[in-house]
Formats: sequence, structure tokens, C-alpha cells
Amino acid sequence: MIDDLGEAATSEPIPIQNINEAVLRKVIEWCTYHKGDPPATNDDDNDVRKKTTDIDEWDQKFMQVDQEMLFEIILAANYLDIKALLDVGCKTVANMIKGKSPEEIRKTFNIQNDFTPEEEDQIRRENEWAEDR
Amino acid sequence: MSPSESSAFLAPRRQTSLMSKRRPITSYDNDAYCDPDVPDALPQIKLEYKRTKWKERPISQYLDCDQMETRAYLEATTNNPFMAHIQTTPPRRLPIFHRCSFKQGLQSLGRRMSVSLRPRCGRNKVNASNVSHAATMSSDPSHPHTLQGKEKPSRWFRSHSAVRRRPSLPVFNLYPEVDPPSYSFTSPLPGPTRGPPLLPFDMHTGAAARAAAAAQNEALHYYQKQLPGFHPEMPRLSDLKLTRDSESGIGIEVQDRRESVHSGVDVIRLDPARVLPLEIIEQIFCYLDPQTLLRAELVSREWRYKAKSRHVWRYVFHWEYNTAGWNRYPARHCPQSAKGVGKGVSDQDWQKMYLVRRKIDQRWAQGEAAAIYLNGHKDSVYCVQFDEHKIITGSRDRTIRVWDTHTFQCIRKIGPPSQASRSASISDTASLSPPGAFHILNTSSMDPSGGFAPHDYHDASILCLQFDEDIMVTGSSDHTAIIWSIRENYKPLCRLRGHKAGVLDVCINEQHIVTCSKDTTICVWDRHSGELIKKLTGHRGPVNAVQMRGNLLASASGDGMAKLWNLTDGLCVKEFSSKDRGLACVEFSEDGRSILAGGNDQVIYEYDTSTGDLVRELSGHKRLVRSLHLDSSNNRIVSGSYDMSVKVWDSRRGRDTGDGGLKINFEGWTTSWMLAAKSDYRKIVCTSQDGRVVIMDFGYGLDGVEMLEA
Repeated sequence: MIDDLGEAATSEPIPIQNINEAVLRKVIEWCTYHKGDPPATNDDDNDVRKKTTDIDEWDQKFMQVDQEMLFEIILAANYLDIKALLDVGCKTVANMIKGKSPEEIRKTFNIQNDFTPEEEDQIRRENEWAEDR
Repeated sequence: MSPSESSAFLAPRRQTSLMSKRRPITSYDNDAYCDPDVPDALPQIKLEYKRTKWKERPISQYLDCDQMETRAYLEATTNNPFMAHIQTTPPRRLPIFHRCSFKQGLQSLGRRMSVSLRPRCGRNKVNASNVSHAATMSSDPSHPHTLQGKEKPSRWFRSHSAVRRRPSLPVFNLYPEVDPPSYSFTSPLPGPTRGPPLLPFDMHTGAAARAAAAAQNEALHYYQKQLPGFHPEMPRLSDLKLTRDSESGIGIEVQDRRESVHSGVDVIRLDPARVLPLEIIEQIFCYLDPQTLLRAELVSREWRYKAKSRHVWRYVFHWEYNTAGWNRYPARHCPQSAKGVGKGVSDQDWQKMYLVRRKIDQRWAQGEAAAIYLNGHKDSVYCVQFDEHKIITGSRDRTIRVWDTHTFQCIRKIGPPSQASRSASISDTASLSPPGAFHILNTSSMDPSGGFAPHDYHDASILCLQFDEDIMVTGSSDHTAIIWSIRENYKPLCRLRGHKAGVLDVCINEQHIVTCSKDTTICVWDRHSGELIKKLTGHRGPVNAVQMRGNLLASASGDGMAKLWNLTDGLCVKEFSSKDRGLACVEFSEDGRSILAGGNDQVIYEYDTSTGDLVRELSGHKRLVRSLHLDSSNNRIVSGSYDMSVKVWDSRRGRDTGDGGLKINFEGWTTSWMLAAKSDYRKIVCTSQDGRVVIMDFGYGLDGVEMLEA
């Protein structure tokens, strides 16, 4: 892209809306670290994406940020179309949810339970089939 | 309390600020204050006391006590040089979520509250100095503990000096999947009962944070065990306790003060379902296991809406049920065997389908099936194959019957025009009560009217059959096989003559029909022309069973040998020998790497096709193993035996498994030998010498089970 734009690209700032400086720094940090990665195989278009939430160690540490920053990074990765970073972010959030009870999830993200007890019962009944084998 | 004992009770502590901001390492500053006389375990004892103490109080007392304790604390700190500057720092409150009731307030305070202990240095100094205050200031007569056997800690003492707290730590962790902390000074130590872990100061490396998080997960598990009747609406004991601490404002961490002043960063908890766009939430949910996904529905309305996404469930469903069992050699021998993955269009209720499928699997696991008896054959039923719409059986009564899988009625009878039945030998039509069946359905069909009289038919027992979308091939004791057109209403197309004795088994693929016979030979026929291509000789006894994978053919013979043939050149490439007696049935694994064989040794052998080695034996049957069926996509081996039982085995179990991987043992479902048994994702269909066809239906009566059909 920079080649296409020629001289102007390197001399003129490219405005990036929606992403603040701190987030952009994190994103750049991530990209810098991963710049040598082999290109990802484009396999998730046909739905065979690996369903693992394993995250490599450096990325784990990288994602040890508060939730606001985490979500900002995810949004930025989405906006900038950095798929690998978006995946890492999504896995991180998935790991925060995995294996937790509804109440634990609410606490994790400070979510208000807006169900009536009757509704909760109803949903439980609908899904009780799937509870422990 | 030893660290190992207490490791299950941890509460969390986590670095709150950004990664780029390194936490100052201040612990060494305080080493000079370390007082070796105060045991490390001290604060834990005190916290433990506090917990039990507060449990006994009504909620309403908490706030009063807090105020009292705060006063006591302030007085105390003025005399404590180490704590003095805390007074200049009022308890920091978080700007969050005071939107709700008192109860919710308590919960939210509890949430953002965290305490942690440090078993050394500065705090011990504090402890030591406070012990003297405690001795002079307060004596609570109800206090059950003593300090070093003589001094009683006062309430303020318990409340703050032992507790090193940061005011804005999350109770829940980001990194649940890490190893629990080990006992070392460089890694977190477990805290008291339900209290916080003791953490080292190298938190910024992340290892400690993750370890603490893991410890916290342990604590949660413990917690749920402790409170089985726990209800999310009920304020937790620990919430109350923590709230109290928070209200009192005591225990602000000295060491971390610099950092918190610098950063001003609070832990912010955001609902990802509101912050992130739907497609990202869906991507996140795609990483979740179905259990968690179902639980996520209970979080809030927003979550429920998003966790029910068809996109997500379609992915989950296919992940669970479609990608398993990828194979090198597609199982063309039974192309219609139902997969139970629905119609293959995207607009389906994938979540419901998942639930139904899972319920079926549960019933398999527990061995619960409905027993449906198809009565009609007048004599032993030797063979069966079925798909989603029909079950086809062949019998000694010289008829082939086609049954509807939904109505259980016989919809077609193919055989001699006027049923010159040799005898109505089946007198035993009494109802059975098969053990393990949760429902029993006895059906009987009138012989289909409008007598279908084919111009060709077997005038002897039907011993074997195999069909696909286009044709059916049956083998008979009249020494021949007949090709029937399925598409043309079971019209007989061609009779295969070549064997000199009964045709015992048959298999088909796109090009070939292979039959085996009591005359010890195997014949390979052209499927389309019906010409005999090859005759494979080598067995010294009747060839009881054959099966194909690609251009490989496995055969099992009464001479006790199983052989592997290359169909291209007609040569035997491998031999497998039973330990003693003849083999009755054979089954290729989906990947062609192993074959299963059963017979008069009463065990099921598994051989490695490349080495020829016997890999394992499944033992359990008490008489000849008559039939085998391998369902690779569901990892089941179904065997039928002359001991009148049908057994289901786990095909993945290794050779070392004690029970051989036996999953289900259905005995007493028929009154005579089991002659054939086949299965798909939801049922086993087996046939018996007593003339019964039995459907063992694990999906019987389930709401929505029809959605799984293609």
C-alpha cells in the first residue's frame, strides 16, 4: 500500500480513526513481535478453524491487560483487519468465559442479571438435557 | 494451616494496570522490618477467625462494626510509624455501578475487593507492632484464638494489619488455564480458608498472575462444593465479609501505594456482549464448548440472544459431529448409513439439534434404549441393513422384507409369489421384557397387499444382503446372488451364478460386487454387467464374511483365518489367524488400518493390517460371535452373538483396557441367537434366529429427533 501511495505515504500521516494511542502502541508491539510469522493458512473460510483456545506464551503475556484495553485491542484488530491478533483476542476472552457458571461470568464482566427467576428457570429447563452426562 | 491444605481457598489478586506499566518492586525495601519472631502463619489464623466470626452475624450489623473498626484502626495507626501515612490516603473507592440495591451493592463491592497476604517482611513488622496495640486496646471475650498462646488480637487488628489489600482488584481472573501455584517464595502462596493467595512481587512477569488465577479457580470449585444450594441471587458469605472490609477502608496496601497513585487506572469490567460487535462475539463463542455456551445463555438477555446464534451453534454442531471420523477410504459399502447431522442446509435450529444429539449420546452411554419389535418373518432372520427410511431384512423364510423406520410397518415383501411357507415355525410371539429397555413396542404388520411377484426370486433362505442408493444384492443358500434395483421398485436385474454352495456374505462398491460362499471361494463381479471378474481361492473352509475398503478386501473363514486381498491383482496380501477356531464375521476399520474379526473363539480380534499383528481382543461374549459392525464416526463396535446378547464396545480403547471397552450389554432381548446387528448414530437394528427384528432405539420419543435426519 505504501508503494502505491508513493512519497506521500511516508511523509503524510495516515489517520486511523477509532483507535487511541495506547491501543495502537499495543497493536504495533504485537505486530512487531509477530512480523516474522509465517502467513496463516486461510482455512477458516471453510469452517474448519481449529477449535483450540491455546495461546502462545508471549501472546498470553501480551494480553494481560485490563478488560477495556483487551476489548480495544480486539476492536482495533478487527478494524485494522489483523486476523491473527483478533483470534488471540477472541481466544483470550473465550478463556475468560470457559468453564464458568453464569454467575461467575457475570462477575467477571460486571454484568447485571436481567432475567426474572421464572425466565432463568425456563432457560435452565430448556438446556438441562445438556448438563453433566 | 499448611499451604497445601489451604490452596483450595484462594481469592484473587492481579495486577491491574497495563502491561507496559511495570509494577515497582518494593518488597525488598521492607526486608529491614522483618521480624523473625512473628510466625508467617499468623495472619492466616487471624483471617480464619474473622471469617467464622462474621458468618454468625446478621447482615445489618456489618456496617456498624465497620465504623467502629475504622475508628479503632485510625487510632492505632497514629501510633504506628509504618502505617502512619495511610491516613493521608482515604480508602479509595471505585467509580462503578452504584446503580442498584443494597444487596447488589454488597455484591459489587465484594467483587472489586480483594485482599492478599504477604507472609514476610514489612507486614510482619506491622503485625509485631500491632500485637502490642492489640493487647492493650481490645479484648474480645468471645475470641476463640490466641496469639502465640497469650495475646488476643482485637478486631481492628484482624481487620487490617494482617490484610494487605489493594482496593481495586478483580475477583476473577483472565487466565484460568494455568498450573496451580507451587509453594515457593517466588510464586503465590495459598491464603487462608477462602482468603487471598500470598503473592510474590514479580507479578509483572505474568506467571504469578496466572498462577493466582488458577488458584482462584480452584477456590471457586471448592466454593461451589461447599455451598451446593448456592443461588446466584443470594449474597455470598465472602461478599459480605469483603464488603465489610471495603467499607471500613482499612488494610490499604503500603507497598503498592506509589503505583496506584501513579497509574490511576481502575479495574474496568466491561460486558463484551455490549462492547464488541456481534460478529466478534460470535467468533469468541465459537471457541467455547457447548456446555459453557449453554450456561452463557443464563448470564443476561443480551448474552442469551447472542449465545443462541445459529452461526455459532452450526459451528459447534459440526465441530462435534461432522469432522470426526475423517477417512481415507470412504465407506462406500453403506453409503446411506445415517450420520445424524441433519439436512445439510444452514437454516436449522443447530442448538436444538445439538441438544437432541447429545441426549441420544447420553442414552448410549447409559445403555437406555427403546425396544421395538418388528414381527412378520416366519423364520430366522439372517441379515439386515438399514438407512433412515427403510430397514431391509432377509430370512430363512425365503422372503426379503422392507420395513418403514418410522411406522415400523412392513412395506414390501419380496419372495416366492404364494408364500409356501414351510412352516409357521415362529410360535414364540410372546412379549419380552428386555432389560435396559425404557419402552417396549411390539409391532406386527399384515403382509403387504397387492402381492408383488417378481419374475425372479430366491427359493431358499436369504443369507446376506447389501444395498446402496441404486441396487441391492442378496445372497442365498440357493448358491446364487440376485441384484435388485432399488430405484425401480426392487426389480430383479440379474442373477449371479458361480458359487457351488450357499452365498454367505456380500459387499458392494462402485465397481464391484464381492460374494463369498460355503464353497470356500470368493467371487468378484462387475457391478454393472454382472460378469464374474475373479475368483479368489485360498481359504480352506467356508468363507463366512467379506468386506471392502478401496481396493482391499478382508475375508473371514471357518478355517480360522482372516485374509486381506488386493482386488486389483486378486492376491492375498496378508493373513491373520484366530487363536483356535473358525471366524464368522469381519469388519474393516474406517481408515483401513485394522480389521476386526469374531467367531467361535467367543472373542473379537483386532488385527493391524500393515503388520498382521493381533492388536487386542475384546472378550465378553459367551458363545460364537456372529456379527460385527463398526461405526467409526461414533467409535462404536456392535457385536451380536449366539449367546443372545448384543454388546457395544468403545472402538478407541487400547489393548490394555481391563474391561475391553465394553459399553453396553443387552441380553435377553430375543429368545434365540443374534444373527445380525448393525447401528447408526441413534439405533441398533438386530435380527435373531427366533424370527424377530429388534430396533434398539436410543432416540425414541425425543422431541426434535427428526431434525437430525437427512
